[in-house]
Amino acid sequence: MRRAVLAFGSTVAGLILLLSFRSHSGTAASAGVSAAPAAPATPAASPSAAGGMAGGGGKSGGTTSGGTASGSKVITGDVINGPYGPSQVAITLSGDKITKVTVLQHTDDGSNSQEIDGNALPKLTAETLTAQNAKIDAVSGASYTSAGYIKSLQSALDKAGA
Amino acid sequence: MPVRAEVTVAADQRLRHAEPVMGTVFSFDLPAAAAPVLPAVLRWLHWVDATFSTYRADSDVSRFGRGEIRLADCAPELAEVIGECAVLSERSGGYFTDRPGGRFDPSGLVKGWSIEHAATMLTAVGHTSVSVNGAGDMQCAGEPEPGRPWRIGIADPLRPGTLAAVVAGRDFAVATSGTAERGPHIINPHTGRPATELASVTVVGPRVTSADAYATAAFAMGPAARDWVERVDGYEAFAVSPDGTRWQTSGFAAYAAS
Repeated sequence: MRRAVLAFGSTVAGLILLLSFRSHSGTAASAGVSAAPAAPATPAASPSAAGGMAGGGGKSGGTTSGGTASGSKVITGDVINGPYGPSQVAITLSGDKITKVTVLQHTDDGSNSQEIDGNALPKLTAETLTAQNAKIDAVSGASYTSAGYIKSLQSALDKAGA
Repeated sequence: MPVRAEVTVAADQRLRHAEPVMGTVFSFDLPAAAAPVLPAVLRWLHWVDATFSTYRADSDVSRFGRGEIRLADCAPELAEVIGECAVLSERSGGYFTDRPGGRFDPSGLVKGWSIEHAATMLTAVGHTSVSVNGAGDMQCAGEPEPGRPWRIGIADPLRPGTLAAVVAGRDFAVATSGTAERGPHIINPHTGRPATELASVTVVGPRVTSADAYATAAFAMGPAARDWVERVDGYEAFAVSPDGTRWQTSGFAAYAAS
């Protein structure tokens, strides 16, 4: 198990958070199956430059992590290692509705990577929000170019029980 | 070590799982009670990946394609897949083929076939509310909750992030072929050139193996696919052209969500 310090930016608010988290190197087998939200974990660290929102520590193995701010909840997905590096997202829930999908990116040395999947991630984010608003169960023909993104997003949704 | 949470869930809770396999992601939307079955389904998908991959030199498909082993030496599922390919190739006038680049490559069928089999593995043991989604092509069984059909958005290939349509149904499949994200990648086997006359085609019907292959064939066919799908029993199509115009077959409206 290694520790890493993750810096990430919100695609919407430009929010910068720093948190320490434990990452795991496995991909498929270690992801586990999430059946229900478990008890929320205490965020490992949550200093916030913009204030008002705290990210949860991403814990492997399908348990829930989260933080709260003014009625909304932030749930951090698992770190998924893909061919272009690790992917991680956080979702912001207001009630049971996704109000924001934040793309968290980092490389093994802990620095930000802006190159992962270029413009695919904002598109995926928009699709996630569109799907949510249309009350649909899935999207056919969606731009699932980033397996890591989708898997991390799914893990966040699993944790949320959304 | 990761901590695996042992949780008790109510019968009406859903289990959602995303599994990277076959170079893409399969997602599952299941009753929580299906959790004990899911690992076997996931293991089977990875076995299919290893057996059918054209990217692995030692897979049955690669060795069979190079003529190193006979069909009888391969996993029996390969014969099943080749049989499905033959039927779908004939029904599509050769627009669907297991030799898209001239070499044996049944990948165009294997994903849809895997989605369908995975769903069947879950319904066969009594789970009636199941959706298996392989990179945007899906088999949906039953309904997601009592009294409500599955609602599937069709991505708009020209306006990423928005939906071109929403379909709804029970016990049905939805598959889409398009150029939106990967660029032109479906070859018209009759010209040898990438198909570009449509931006995307969605096919709905009972089985995702067929819907996926028909969507591929329809995309390669271009606008002529409209008349062709009209003649295919049990399947309907919706297409978006590069200029934004849309068409659908006569029975597609039965799937249109309110």
